[in-house]
Amino acid sequence: MRAGSREVAESCLDGITMEMVATYCDRLHSSKPDLAARRIEAIGFQVGQQLAERYTRDRPRFTDHLEVIKFICKDFWAEVFKKQIDNLKTNHRGVFVLQDTRFRWLTRISVDSPLTPSEANNTTLAAAQAGGKYLYFPCGLIRGALTNLGVPCAVSAEIAALPACSFIIRIKV
Amino acid sequence: MILCVAIVGQQNNPLYLQSFAGGDDVLKFHYIVHCSLDVFDEKASILRRTGTNLNDNFLGLLYPAEDYKVYGYMTNTRVKFVLVTSDLELKDLDIKTFFQRFHAAYIDVTSNPFHVPGKRIASPMFRDRVKTIVSSFGQL
Repeated sequence: MRAGSREVAESCLDGITMEMVATYCDRLHSSKPDLAARRIEAIGFQVGQQLAERYTRDRPRFTDHLEVIKFICKDFWAEVFKKQIDNLKTNHRGVFVLQDTRFRWLTRISVDSPLTPSEANNTTLAAAQAGGKYLYFPCGLIRGALTNLGVPCAVSAEIAALPACSFIIRIKV
Repeated sequence: MILCVAIVGQQNNPLYLQSFAGGDDVLKFHYIVHCSLDVFDEKASILRRTGTNLNDNFLGLLYPAEDYKVYGYMTNTRVKFVLVTSDLELKDLDIKTFFQRFHAAYIDVTSNPFHVPGKRIASPMFRDRVKTIVSSFGQL
């Protein structure tokens, strides 16, 4: 951290990201989940653009797409989530999968424990659905950063088991 | 003396231009900045071909003219910063420091949630800050 930079408690950030989801998904656009998702994604997009500008300030320009993706996995992730991406996969044709085994913004989320063994399967499904809403913002964040760095792309997310999740980046050619 | 500073966006759209020459020659500076954009592209593509460690943000002297010189700086996000100066003897290091401070000011103004990315910067605070950076140029 730079000397003199202003900081915010992490619990405040956790609070605001969760409240944002609640406001858009449950209150403003409760009947239109797609619209709510787009709105939250757009907020993330702008924040991602701003962060990309800030975090790349003192580094030389990137030469290709892979370098930009690596920057997202290492430095960008470290700045935002205080850890690096755990696993990066690619098909070398423009699709990258970023796996985070302990995604920071999902660590505070839990679902009700199953009452019967038959409900156990539903719980994982419910976890994926409930957690999915909280990934619109980080998806927008990644897309904003990549777009600003000259990599137009689409980003989606999947939850396998909380708090692990993966982001799928598809670069538009 | 610094005559003019400018910021040009990713799509070569003008984001900001401030003249320090006095008088009513903003149009002339728009013209000079516009002319420098081709040199930006050229320099960036040459640097990309020759090697990675030369890919510095600071592009150096873009082109000299009879009574002014144009310097350039391009960020990772392909936002371009232009400096037009009438001093013919300048140290590259000074100019680099100037651009870094100018860039930092730009980052702070675009981090404002009310700023729309890709739109012209109209913040009076930014204008004042640029003025301070310009007046302290070369005195570090």
